Amino acid sequence: MHMILNSPWIIPALPLLSFIIVGLFIRPLSPKIAAVVATLSVGCSFLLSLTLAWLFFTGPNPSQLSIPWSFEWLRFQPGLNIQMGFLLDPISAMMLVVVTSVSFLVHLYSMGYMHDDPGYGRFFTYLNLFTFSMLGLVISPNIFQMYVFWELVGVSSFLLIGFYYEKPSAVAASKKAFIVTRFADLGFLVGILLLGFLGYQVQQKLGSSDSLIAGLQSLDFQFLTHPTVLSELSNTGFLAIALVLIYIGAAGKSAMFPLHIWLPDAMEGPTPVSALIHAATMVVAGVYLVARMFPAFSTAPSALEVVSWIGLFTSAFAAIIACTQDDIKRVLAFSTLSQLGYMMFSLGVANLEHPLGYTASMFHLFTHAFFKALLFLGAGAVIHAVHTNDVWDMGGLRKKMPITHATFLIAVLAIAGVWPLAGFFSKDEILTAALEGGHYVHFIGGLAVAGLTAFYMARIYFLTFWGKGRTKATDHAHEAPFVMLLPLLILSVLSISAGWIPFAQYIHPLVQSAQEHSGHHGLNWTVVLSGSSMAAIGLLMSWFLYAQNDFNRVNNWISNFQGLYQVIKKKFYFDEIYLFITHKIIFRLIAGPIAWFDRHAVDGSVNLTGDAVQKSSSIITLIQTGQLQTYGVWFVLGTAVTLIFFWMTLL
Amino acid sequence: MLISWVLVSLLLFSLGIYGVLTRRSAVGLLISVELMLNAAALNLVVFNRFLFASRMDGQILTIFVIALAAAEVLIGMAILVMLFRRKKSVDVTQLSQLKH
Amino acid sequence: MIFYLLTFVILVLALATVLTRHIFRSAIYLMGVLALSAGYYLLLGAEFLAGVQILVYVGGIVVLIVFAVMLTQSQDLIHDHPSRLRKMLGFLTSATFFGVSAWALLNSHLNKNIEMPSDAQFSAQIMGKAFLSTEGNGYILPFELISILLLTVLISGIVLAKKEKV
Repeated sequence: MHMILNSPWIIPALPLLSFIIVGLFIRPLSPKIAAVVATLSVGCSFLLSLTLAWLFFTGPNPSQLSIPWSFEWLRFQPGLNIQMGFLLDPISAMMLVVVTSVSFLVHLYSMGYMHDDPGYGRFFTYLNLFTFSMLGLVISPNIFQMYVFWELVGVSSFLLIGFYYEKPSAVAASKKAFIVTRFADLGFLVGILLLGFLGYQVQQKLGSSDSLIAGLQSLDFQFLTHPTVLSELSNTGFLAIALVLIYIGAAGKSAMFPLHIWLPDAMEGPTPVSALIHAATMVVAGVYLVARMFPAFSTAPSALEVVSWIGLFTSAFAAIIACTQDDIKRVLAFSTLSQLGYMMFSLGVANLEHPLGYTASMFHLFTHAFFKALLFLGAGAVIHAVHTNDVWDMGGLRKKMPITHATFLIAVLAIAGVWPLAGFFSKDEILTAALEGGHYVHFIGGLAVAGLTAFYMARIYFLTFWGKGRTKATDHAHEAPFVMLLPLLILSVLSISAGWIPFAQYIHPLVQSAQEHSGHHGLNWTVVLSGSSMAAIGLLMSWFLYAQNDFNRVNNWISNFQGLYQVIKKKFYFDEIYLFITHKIIFRLIAGPIAWFDRHAVDGSVNLTGDAVQKSSSIITLIQTGQLQTYGVWFVLGTAVTLIFFWMTLL
Repeated sequence: MLISWVLVSLLLFSLGIYGVLTRRSAVGLLISVELMLNAAALNLVVFNRFLFASRMDGQILTIFVIALAAAEVLIGMAILVMLFRRKKSVDVTQLSQLKH
Repeated sequence: MIFYLLTFVILVLALATVLTRHIFRSAIYLMGVLALSAGYYLLLGAEFLAGVQILVYVGGIVVLIVFAVMLTQSQDLIHDHPSRLRKMLGFLTSATFFGVSAWALLNSHLNKNIEMPSDAQFSAQIMGKAFLSTEGNGYILPFELISILLLTVLISGIVLAKKEKV
């Protein structure tokens, strides 16, 4: 039992091992066995994570950070060593459970969903790689290891989004995702370097007085969240800038505005990928990073402001767009964007004195993982049955796919924030944090988004499952196989029950000085009432418009606001703006000249040396006439010259 | 005087070089080479007589030079005869197959 | 006095050798040069060598050359016309060579007033003994080698020039 506490590296090592063995050896032989091995390895990781979390939270120090395992990887200077290790604290234990559970369920689901795909084995290899990368990210004890796994997660995402590599749209989407996140990671890297530099100076200064600090490295999270260190860092005046740069990286990975463009296109990947990566795990890496660095952000209030406002804006922006999209996966993608915005601004409205937002954000991450994965997997079952993503080609699936319908309904209610499902509790905690922190704009904004969320989720629900079937495919639809239904059922149970976990007792930001946490808050009735009423309004409006027999009301509405509707449906033309900037400006003005320079100047000079040598050699070969007497002339002249040289030396 | 003898042999040698570089016929080439060899042999004897009058090494070497000249002419002629049989002329300006 | 006369004639003949257009005449002029070189040797006191020169060079080599001229006569090379470029190059090269060497010689230590010593111990007897002596300054080894060489050359000459089997 306690072995897992001593060697917790098994948890990420199992998927890694499985990736290597399945990818190299088993996949070419038997894809079916590959899938089973992959799923089993993640399953074992899941059980071990549960055990670890249980031991941690019921153990003697459930709110202390510890590093049960690490080894030294790079050694630059005494004070700048990079270690690889396993960090165990409340949020990392929670994330371990989330990542492994969702990953396991997605593996199980994929055994049915990807059943007749030629890349079946390859899919499971990539899923394992992703699971390993995400686990490595979550347990990083220093920001450098997190960066390494951050990139690995990006690579896995690239491979999985572009899984259907013969489709040009999938390839373009994977490129877009990778490039946008990579671009954001530039900011992240600069932030890391800046923090490392400043941290090193601070450590040199403080290390003589504090032995704990002297034992840490300047990139360790323990170091970067130490209060004395943080006050020194903020004295340098560059802490806020470094944190904003790091936030750019987080914003890229979590698809905050204006780096959100990759997430809707990422839906080109298979649906289990969308469920795992772009709903439950990878996109929350940015939120996780901010949460990790929360004490640092708290010391630089300007950085926290940036976080909260960008989060709120993204949340509202995405919710508005989601109301007009017709592709079921795109709606879910924008919904993810909106919920991520919630998590971000929840972190932004909190600080170390009022840490409720932190707890609320992590809580929402936890519950969102389950019901969003459920939504995606359910959508996948529907897509599998009717072979189309377009909501307007579905309808009446309530009777054809009863279990999928029931679980999907549970998920919709959860995300809308209906009591007693999970989303209600987490969303209300976020709104409470905003209200009690005095951020009224955030509160009103959050309420409005909650209403919109209920509206568009119910819209999807009604259009898919109610009414009459609109195409032939819906007439032939049948329920999904059991291996796909089981994860749906498990997730729906979690969506119902996860809200009842007393999160605040376990998850709160760690402060080095032992600060007693005030325990579970009581319900704030203002928030409860306003939140629930917004949800109700949204659901009713949606029922009013979409649950009818015909869509005249909808069409009337749309024709009244035709122009605005078109703009929103085109996602405010942001994709076109980005394409314009990249193609016309970056490609033509920057990349074009550079490419010209490379092809003509650099290659040209190399070719020039080659040509010069060739031309000069062809000139020199004119000496070889093949006639003896020509050679004789050269010979005698050479002799004369040699004579002169000899004579010179004798002088 | 020594220097005038040496200059004479040098002059003969240079005339031989001129012949080697100018002649179109291969036999003419060989004749010029003989001229050069003769000049070299003369040089040997001159130095022997002027600087080392008590020894005869120069003359002995000259004997060798003469013998070698004979051998070389022999082989040269044999080759030229073969060449003539092949190409019906001994014009050295035609022999440019090693041209680049 | 004799020296200058002899020099003059030899130089004229040598010029004629390299400048004439007829190969046959060139061979004859060569014979003249070689014979008068024997005169040089007599002036230098090397009588045996003069005899050898006449016997081998004039009597052997020139005859051989005349044979070669006759054997390789062809219509297109009756008159040997080198091109102007070739003549120019040849003249330049040989003049350069001569110039450099003469300049070096004239500026060397040989340009002193060195007269021909009057007593020279030259005789055929000493030469014969030197050819066959096995001591440090003897020439027995080159002597034997050169006889082998001459044998080789003889045989190879016959082999090279014999008529190919039809």
